[in-house]
Amino acid sequence: MLRQFLIPLLYYKYLSSQLILRDIKGRYKQSILGYAWIVFNPLVQLLVYSFVFSVIFKFETNEVPYSIFLFVGLLPWIYFQTSLTASALVLVDNSNLLKKVSFPREVLPYSIVFSKSVDLFFSLFLLAIFLMFFKLPIPLSVFYIIPLFILQVILMLGLSLFLSAANLFYRDIQYVTNLMLLMWMYLTPVVYPISLVPENYLWLYKLNPMVGIIEGYRSAVFNTSFDSSSILLSVLISISVFLIGFFIFKKGERVFADIV
Amino acid sequence: MSNFVIQLSKVTKKFYLQEDKTFKEFLPNFLLGKSWAKELTALDNLSFVIEKGETIGIIGKNGSGKSTLLKLMAGVTAPSSGEIKVSERVAPLIEVGAGFHHELTGYENIFLNAAILGMHKKEIEEVVDNIIDFSELREFIHVPVKRYSSGMYMRLGFAVAIHVNAQILLVDEVLAVGDSAFQKKCLDYLRGIKKDKDKTIVFVSHSEESVKSFCDRVILLDHGKIIKDGEPEIVFKTYHQILKI
Repeated sequence: MLRQFLIPLLYYKYLSSQLILRDIKGRYKQSILGYAWIVFNPLVQLLVYSFVFSVIFKFETNEVPYSIFLFVGLLPWIYFQTSLTASALVLVDNSNLLKKVSFPREVLPYSIVFSKSVDLFFSLFLLAIFLMFFKLPIPLSVFYIIPLFILQVILMLGLSLFLSAANLFYRDIQYVTNLMLLMWMYLTPVVYPISLVPENYLWLYKLNPMVGIIEGYRSAVFNTSFDSSSILLSVLISISVFLIGFFIFKKGERVFADIV
Repeated sequence: MSNFVIQLSKVTKKFYLQEDKTFKEFLPNFLLGKSWAKELTALDNLSFVIEKGETIGIIGKNGSGKSTLLKLMAGVTAPSSGEIKVSERVAPLIEVGAGFHHELTGYENIFLNAAILGMHKKEIEEVVDNIIDFSELREFIHVPVKRYSSGMYMRLGFAVAIHVNAQILLVDEVLAVGDSAFQKKCLDYLRGIKKDKDKTIVFVSHSEESVKSFCDRVILLDHGKIIKDGEPEIVFKTYHQILKI
């Protein structure tokens, strides 16, 4: 199993990098704003949510301005959402490749998760500019973003392996994915602070692995104490999701070419 | 010591044809334990060996299993039972250009497509000029391929596929590529490869003329079974008999 997992990373590095490049280069061709969409997209979402939840609902977010509080949660969430939506489609979109050429199929969903991480990377620069604009300090704890990012990638790889394979069998999955992501967002402290969640549901709420991750990003950026129990839970769940996703994908892989 | 590059032993490939696609139809059948799909045997108990350096033609009517056989050799699908051993790198020239991204330029697509076919960066850099020359697309190479005509598209795809450093070439009707001058160029190129006796070519075609002029051995498939395997002249005689019945 370990060997199987490593093969695409060792021998198909170049293919993976080409697929990632294809996704990044191809995405904004023949558009006026081009790569500016990478930051434009989260900015618009930020504006909309800021208006709804700080002007209309007036959420309390301690010392941090609401829009900054939101932005820190929104960026990883957008990464999560765009990657999963795209990876549900990636095998179906590349069905001509599946039928013609043999290569480890998992490089297709992997390439989606990695190419979208470029977007996240650029949006983080935007976040840094925002923090400076609001005269907020950038603490050293910000480097905890790196392990949290890796954790999020593990979770997303597992989910995208599962979703891409499942959608090849039944196209319902791509619609279910969109609905699931909508619900998932409101079950994650993206637009609201976790303090609003009723105490007695908190244990159930924290079973969502994105809770630990998003809250972790906030603790890293605002230098507050980490909720280690929910992060640990998130680590366990993410690794299990990856293993299950990988196992299912490898099981299905043999018949991919026959069912597309 | 046998010198085989492809060995099939008792290979059978079955497909399941799904009919009940919607849940409404699927559920009652599933609960009653009815089979959810019809079975179709595409290849039935095939055993043969292809030796290194052979140029082998595969012929048969539509639906006789030729494409399935090529897919098995390319490694994109696994046999339902039996075993297939392929000992060298395979370059499928099946519908070339699969995997092109239409927004990217011809040049970018060369690297993308060659990577999909299993090449590494250095290998591609060595042959990229030959690929461009072969495709005769040098002046358009930095144009997005969506602006290409279908002939140009195929030419580029073919040029990439034949420059893949593979020991086994799978050729599926691709010689319907481009104008007759380019077709001749492709056939000449394949003849050159054939002369070296170094690479193995598996050639699927409906064109009797090109198979006869090109292959030393022909396999005739019908309903997933091997009807005849041998000299082109003899095999084509049997093929004509089948077609008449």
